[in-house]
Amino acid sequence: MASYEEFLEEKSKIDELVEKGYRIGKVEENLSGAFVDFERPNEKKQSEKKQLHILNPDTRKYFSNLLIAQQKNK
Amino acid sequence: MADLRTNFAGIKAPNPFWLASAPPTNTGYQVQRAFEAGWGGAVWKTLGDPILNVSSRFAGTSYNGKQVMGFNNIELISDRPLEVNLQEIYETKKKYPDHAVIASLMVEPQQEKWHEIVKKVQDVGVDGFELNFGCPHGMAERGMGAASGQVPELVEKQTMWAKEAAEVPVIVKLTPNITDITATALAAVQGGADAISMINTINSLAGVDLDSWNTIPHVAGKGAHGGYCGPAVKPIALNMVAECARDPELNNIPISGMGGISTWSDAAEYMLMGAGSVQVCTAAMHHGFSIVEDMIDGLQNYMDEKKLETLDDIVGKSVPKYSDWGDLDLNYKVVARINNDVCINCNKCHIACEDTSHQCIDMLTAEDGTDYLEVREEDCVGCNLCSIVCPVDGAIDMVEIPNGEPMTWNDRQAAIKQTSTSATELA
Ligand SMILES: Cc1cc2nc3c(=O)[nH]c(=O)nc-3n(C[C@H](O)[C@H](O)[C@H](O)COP(=O)(O)O)c2cc1C
Repeated sequence: MASYEEFLEEKSKIDELVEKGYRIGKVEENLSGAFVDFERPNEKKQSEKKQLHILNPDTRKYFSNLLIAQQKNK
Repeated sequence: MADLRTNFAGIKAPNPFWLASAPPTNTGYQVQRAFEAGWGGAVWKTLGDPILNVSSRFAGTSYNGKQVMGFNNIELISDRPLEVNLQEIYETKKKYPDHAVIASLMVEPQQEKWHEIVKKVQDVGVDGFELNFGCPHGMAERGMGAASGQVPELVEKQTMWAKEAAEVPVIVKLTPNITDITATALAAVQGGADAISMINTINSLAGVDLDSWNTIPHVAGKGAHGGYCGPAVKPIALNMVAECARDPELNNIPISGMGGISTWSDAAEYMLMGAGSVQVCTAAMHHGFSIVEDMIDGLQNYMDEKKLETLDDIVGKSVPKYSDWGDLDLNYKVVARINNDVCINCNKCHIACEDTSHQCIDMLTAEDGTDYLEVREEDCVGCNLCSIVCPVDGAIDMVEIPNGEPMTWNDRQAAIKQTSTSATELA
């Protein structure tokens, strides 16, 4: 897959979670790329978690920008 | 008109263009002719115990038919007795009192030796000293030059010994044959240096003759490593100057920059990166002393166009723009754009991108059957390779694409780190 298509695909997965109220909770990076944990509180005040495995370098920049904005707006 | 007069660590000169310590400054005859030609200063060919040289000492490297891209030498320091040099320095200084005459010195790393030579040379009225801790060949085998210039403790000690006897400014000339030049620069500062200069030559072997299998140059069938200089070394030297200029531990110590300076614009780049004076060897050896005229005119015109009055308006002005990789903006984005009116369809950009970069330049055919090249901007990472290999000026522009707020690697890593600390806190 072309790099740009891969970026768009991964970005849309992130955007979908953000739209549903998820925020980035934790990021772990290793040789295989970035594992980004998204979290949102549910009605029972428990945290719901989803993890995305991000491969594309542009998407890794993209979620980092989101994370910085999220930390600024805390 | 811009004023090019220089006061470098207390050494005054009519302009910042100095001849480096090397064959062009071997004798009074040469230095005086150089001053007549317009050079503002000269660092005399290194003085020390007179040496013996070999015959067949230099080699030039060419690239694509362009001569002297680089220059290699296995010459040592002055082969003339000290008294002969001193007499000529005295006469030169007397005739040209406003020009800078700096004596380059090299002796064994012993306190008495440094005291002795500094005192003897000082008596003839030099404006400053340059300690040669850089020659990479011959003298280094005898524990001098680069051999002592690669050991920070020896740089510090020898600088101190020279300073103990010196009444004029002491410049320490550093070797580039070291991983981190700021380490030896700091040693020079700690030894009390008034200024530093760089670079001396880089360890090199110019080539091997494919018929005789001799080294180039060879001395009766044998070769030894030499020192490399000339245009090819400029990027290496410029980085070393910039690294020293931006190092806060070095306290803005004045820097005399050299390595591949051939034109006024090379000199201006060194100055922007922190050099308060510049030195030239290879370009003078290639083209003669008269090149200084273009250097002076060029720098003066440039400064006039930019409305800069003195060298203080230019020296070091690019240093704050030189940073660590971790402080660069990861969101900054440029992409290649091909100007099809100018492009000659040579395909070099397509081949470079397809074979060795990110495969984002397409060869397309227009409705009228003509071929043209187009960049898929979304896949372009902005590496610049296509514009570097393009043989036609203006055929490829690298265009900035607005891409949000800046984010550096260091910002990003701090943000990611914060997620793990908040996760630990939650747990
Ligand atoms: C043939 C030759 C001899 C040199 N001899 C000396 C020397 O005696 N002392 C010294 O400090 N540097 C010496 N150098 C180094 C130059 O002063 C200068 O540091 C180096 O050539 C880089 O400048 P360039 O690229 O303008 O040549 C010599 C260089 C050449 C080419």
